[in-house]
Amino acid sequence: MICLKCLGAALIITAAYVYGNGISFYYRQRVQQLEELLIGLELFYTEVSYGLTPLPRAFMNIGARLKEPVGAIFCDAAREMQKNRGLSARECWQNALKNSAALLSLSPGGSQLLERLGLAWGKGDKNDQLRQVKLIKELLRQAHREAQAELQKNDKVWKYLGLLGGITLVIFLL
Amino acid sequence: MEILHKIEEIRLRHSRPLIVYWAGGEAFLGKKGPVLTTGEAYHVFGEDLEKTLELISSYSLYAFEEELKQGYLTLPGGHRVGLAGRAVLEKGRIKILRDINSLNFRVARQIKGVGERVLGFLFDRQTWRIYHTLIISPPQGGKTTLLRDLARLISDGAGIMGQSGQKVGIIDERSEIAGCFQGIPQLDIGMRTDVLDACPKAEGIMLMLRSLSPQVIITDEIGRAEDVQAIAEAVSAGVSVIASAHGSSLEEICQRPVLGELLQENVFERLIFLNNNKGPGTLEMIIEGEKGLPLYSARYGGEERAK
Repeated sequence: MICLKCLGAALIITAAYVYGNGISFYYRQRVQQLEELLIGLELFYTEVSYGLTPLPRAFMNIGARLKEPVGAIFCDAAREMQKNRGLSARECWQNALKNSAALLSLSPGGSQLLERLGLAWGKGDKNDQLRQVKLIKELLRQAHREAQAELQKNDKVWKYLGLLGGITLVIFLL
Repeated sequence: MEILHKIEEIRLRHSRPLIVYWAGGEAFLGKKGPVLTTGEAYHVFGEDLEKTLELISSYSLYAFEEELKQGYLTLPGGHRVGLAGRAVLEKGRIKILRDINSLNFRVARQIKGVGERVLGFLFDRQTWRIYHTLIISPPQGGKTTLLRDLARLISDGAGIMGQSGQKVGIIDERSEIAGCFQGIPQLDIGMRTDVLDACPKAEGIMLMLRSLSPQVIITDEIGRAEDVQAIAEAVSAGVSVIASAHGSSLEEICQRPVLGELLQENVFERLIFLNNNKGPGTLEMIIEGEKGLPLYSARYGGEERAK
């Protein structure tokens, strides 16, 4: 009987610890994905300002250099464009976002920024294009700062809360 | 379907009906095909134009600034899209076109063989040298089609030229002759032909002379002072020049400041006049440049008066 109780207690504590760690991981992922997006936009800036690379090829180049799932968004959007189905750049970007939505850990504000980015692709001349991307980059940088602050605030809290919550539950149950 | 094969232009104009044009005709287009009234026709709006622009530029308008400045884009297959919108000026010259409100798709259709009839008048049968030639016609008169076919015939050396083709250099400032897409000719311009795409004529002729050793240089729509200098350079280097110019008669051309000068100096040994009387590219007259003798005239029932 005691063995069973110990096993149950261990399971509860482990589950609570994993849950707390999961939430903490979500905050870390958010920061990392925003960092990847910022790198992506920096690469886009280089592709356009120095190489005038066409958007589908630029997206492929960028996607190959970024970690998943952000890299996949660029690659998927490029593939959608190359299919020549008559979709606009915004529609291709939105489809790519849908494909990776489950893997993204962005806040609602961050997701909106990503969607807004779809409105900027392929619009206007070089200066217009770079100006629009620069504007969204600034907003993403702000979102990154906020995500970092939230990570610092919540990372340890959720890890300990998970563990302590599990222990508390076990004490109550015993 | 009948219309589909003869369409020359597809016009998208903001807030106005979608119209297709062919030689001597036009039709409004509805969602299911040609319609009779403007009310039934599909009306083009900003979103259509924006999406079309995105698609024809591979979502990369920023990569086509030079083309936007010139007012056209070239598509795979050599088709061209003319653009109209608001011109943004810098130091009095067009910097870029914005707020595009009108698109004109010009279907590139190569008509092989149009040059065969003319080519017999254009070379010296003893030396096989191509005469310096100027092709003159009003807009849409078939000048570019003829230039393209002459390039192909001279370069391949087929038919009347025998098997000895010549090295041809095309300076294609507006990407119309070879219809280059990303630098690769989309139309058949012959196996011994080099193309300088989107290159200003005067610079292109000099570059061609320096590095590509052409026997014949082909270019279109000459008219600037620097073009004349470059053509004179090519002529003195022993390279044959075939060029085209807008115009409707010899008198009119002679009065133009730059072209008139070239004609007075008898640079061109053959002048070919085309018109639209029986469709684009109708051969009206071929004149021997120096003496002004007609070698061919449609007025005499197409009789060849001299060769």
